[in-house]
Amino acid sequence: MAGVQALDDTASGAAATAPPRKWELIPAGHGNTGTAFWLMAPAIAVYGIFTLFPIAVTFWLSFTDSAGFNTPASFVGVENYRKAVQDPIVWQALWQTIIWLIYHVVLAGGLGLGLALAIARLKRSQVFFRTAFFLPHLVSLAVVGVIWANIYDPFFGLLNTGLTEIGLGNWTQGWLSDPALVLFSVNVASSWQGFGLYMLLFIAGLQDIDPALYDAAEVDGANSWQKLIHVTLPGLREVMTFVMSLAMINGLKGFATVFVMTNGGPFYQSELITTYIYRLAFQAQDHGLAAVLCILLSLFAITITIVFNRWRARMAR
Amino acid sequence: MNIITRAAAAAAFLAAGADVRAETLRMWGPEQITEPLIAELWNGIKADFEVKNPGVTVEFIPPTGTISNGAVQAALQSDVGPDVVLTNSGIGRITVVKNAKQIIPLTAYYDERAWKDKIYPWLFEELKGQYAGEIYEVPDGLDALGIWYHKDMFAENGWTIPATWKDFVTLMKAIQEKSIQPLAVGPRTPGSAGHLFGNLLQSASGTINVGKALRGELAWDDPALVVGAVRLRELVDAGFIKKEMAGLDLDGASRLWFNKRAAMFVAGPWFTANARKAGYDLNNAGYLPMPSDMAGEAKPTGGVGWSWLIPSNSKQPELALKWIDFMLSDEVMKKRAQHAASTMIYPRELKDIQPSTRVLKEIFAVAANGVGYNPSVYLPADVTDTYFQVIQGLVSGQISGEDGMKQIQGKMVAVR
Repeated sequence: MAGVQALDDTASGAAATAPPRKWELIPAGHGNTGTAFWLMAPAIAVYGIFTLFPIAVTFWLSFTDSAGFNTPASFVGVENYRKAVQDPIVWQALWQTIIWLIYHVVLAGGLGLGLALAIARLKRSQVFFRTAFFLPHLVSLAVVGVIWANIYDPFFGLLNTGLTEIGLGNWTQGWLSDPALVLFSVNVASSWQGFGLYMLLFIAGLQDIDPALYDAAEVDGANSWQKLIHVTLPGLREVMTFVMSLAMINGLKGFATVFVMTNGGPFYQSELITTYIYRLAFQAQDHGLAAVLCILLSLFAITITIVFNRWRARMAR
Repeated sequence: MNIITRAAAAAAFLAAGADVRAETLRMWGPEQITEPLIAELWNGIKADFEVKNPGVTVEFIPPTGTISNGAVQAALQSDVGPDVVLTNSGIGRITVVKNAKQIIPLTAYYDERAWKDKIYPWLFEELKGQYAGEIYEVPDGLDALGIWYHKDMFAENGWTIPATWKDFVTLMKAIQEKSIQPLAVGPRTPGSAGHLFGNLLQSASGTINVGKALRGELAWDDPALVVGAVRLRELVDAGFIKKEMAGLDLDGASRLWFNKRAAMFVAGPWFTANARKAGYDLNNAGYLPMPSDMAGEAKPTGGVGWSWLIPSNSKQPELALKWIDFMLSDEVMKKRAQHAASTMIYPRELKDIQPSTRVLKEIFAVAANGVGYNPSVYLPADVTDTYFQVIQGLVSGQISGEDGMKQIQGKMVAVR
C-alpha cells in the first residue's frame, strides 16, 4: 500500500509541477491524446463527411465537365473558370448578390432594431408583440415567397389593390416586373421572414443595458433622441455586430424567395449567385461551372467576413 | 422437431412468396393527381394494370416539378427515385437527362414491342432524327398551343375571329378600348412565356423558318425570324400586353383570363384542367390559331408535350416496359381520350373517339391541319434559359426584338 501511495504522490506531484501545455486538450494525468481522439472522432467524422468531403468534391468538380453523378467526368483544366469569367450573367448575379445582402442587412436588421426599440419598454403587451413579430420567422421561405408573390400580383394583389382602394392608384407598380424594383421587392419578402430573430436579439441586448445609465442621462437633461444615440446604441454595439454578421450570412444564403417569386427574372434582374448555381447544376446539369460559382461564392463570403471582422476590431478599439 | 422443421419451411415458402408479390412500380406522375377527376382516371388505370399483373403494385409519385426546374433530375439522382417517369418532354428537356445518362435508350423496344406502330409515323421519324437514330422517350401526349378566348365576350361585343395579323391587332385595339386586357401572359413560368412567343414566331415566320432556326440552319437574328420578337415588343409598347405581366406566372395570367379581365390567352389542350379547377365553364371557351399573313401558317404550335422515360437506375425496368406497353394499348388510350380528365392530343390517331369537351374538339380540329414548332421544347437545353429570359426581357420592355434575338443566336452559336 505504501508503495502505491508513493506512486500516487509522485504522479500528483508531477501534475502539480508540470502544468498542461496549451495544445493539450486533457491535462497530463487525466487522460491521453488517444482517448481525446476517440472522443472527438464522431464529430470529426461528421465534419469530414458533411463539410470537408463536399468542399473537396466541389473543388474537384470545378475542373471537370461533370453533368451529374451518373456520368463519367473528364478533366477540363481551368475551362470552367474561363467560362465563368466570360459569362456576363455571373458578374450581374454577383453584383446583385451584393445589393441583395445590403438590402437584407438594412431592411431585416433595421426593422428588427426599430421594432425592438418600440416594444422593449412595453410591460404587459411585450410578449404579445414579440410573439407576433417573431411568427413570420417560423414560416418557410418558400411559403413566404408564394404569399408575397400573391401580395405583389399587379392585378389582384393586396398591395396594388390596397393602394388603389385608398386613392393611391398612381403608386401601383409592377413589383416583380419592374427591373428597378424587383430585387428590392423580393428582398422585402425575405427580410419580413428574417427580422423577427434579429428583433429578439436586439431586445435581449436592450435588457442588458444598465437602467442607471438612462437615469444618469436624464439627470443630465438628455432627451429621448440623445439617450438613443448616446446610451442605447453604444450599449447595443456587441449585439449589433453579431446581428450584422448573422444578417450578412443569411443575405448570402438568399435563394428560396427569389427562386419562388421570380426565378431570377425578369431578364436576369433578380438573379443571385445562388439561383444561378441552382440553374446551372440542376437544370442545365453543368456541375463543373456550378462548382466554380460555389467556390466564387465561398471566396466572396470569406472576403466579406475578413473585412467585417477587421472593421469590427477597429471599432472595438 | 418435425413441427419446427415444417414451420420453418412454411415460413420460408411464405417469405419467398412475399418476395415475388412485393413488386412495386414507382411512377413519377401524373401531374395534378390531387384533382379528383384526374385521380379517378389514373387510379382506374393503375387498378387495371394491377389486375393484369398480379402481385404488382403501382405507386404514383406526385411530381414536384419537371425537367425544366430540375425536379426530375433531383429525383433520379437520389437513387431511390421512380422506376418510370411521365413528364413534360421535348428534345430540349430530354437532352438534359440523356446527357447526364439518367435515362436509358429505348430505340430497340420500338421494334421489339411494336411501339413504332402505336405512334404517328411522322412522330416516330421526328424522334429518330433527334439523336442520330437513338430514341430515349415514348410520347404520351402532344401539345397544340393556340389562343383561348371567351365566346360570350366575343359575341356580346361583336368581335370576330381575326383572319390576318392586321385584323388581330385591330381586334386587340377594340378589346383595349373596353378596358379589358387583350392578351394575358405569365412569363414567370418559363413554359407560359414560350407558349405565346412560339405562337408569334410561327405566325410571323412560318414553320419552315422556325424549324431551320431550331436546327441551326437559319440565324435567330435573321430578319425573317426577328419579326416575331419585334411584334411581341410592339404588343407590349401598345399596352396589349402589360409590362406588369412580366411578374406573373402561369396561374396569375390564367386568373386574369378566367376572371375575364383578359380576353385571350395562349395555352394548349391541358388548359382544360386548369379551367375546370378554376370553375370556368368550358363550353364558353373558344380556340383559334394565332392569325398569320402567311398562307397556311395560322397553326397552333407544339410537339411532344409529355413522354415516358425509364431511368438508368430504375429498380423495375422490365415492369416499366410492361407499363409503357399497357399505356400505349388501345384499351388505355381510348379510355383516357374519352375521359373528362383528358387534356391532350394522343400520339396516334384514335378512331371513333369523342373528346370530352367542345373546346378539345376544336383544338383537335385545328391541330389536324398541322402543328408548328414550340421552340421551348425543341431548343438545345443550354439555350432555353436564355430564350425564356429574352421573352421576359421583351415583356418587361427591357430589350428590343432585335437585341433579344441576337442574344438567343449568341447562345445558339456558343452551344453549337
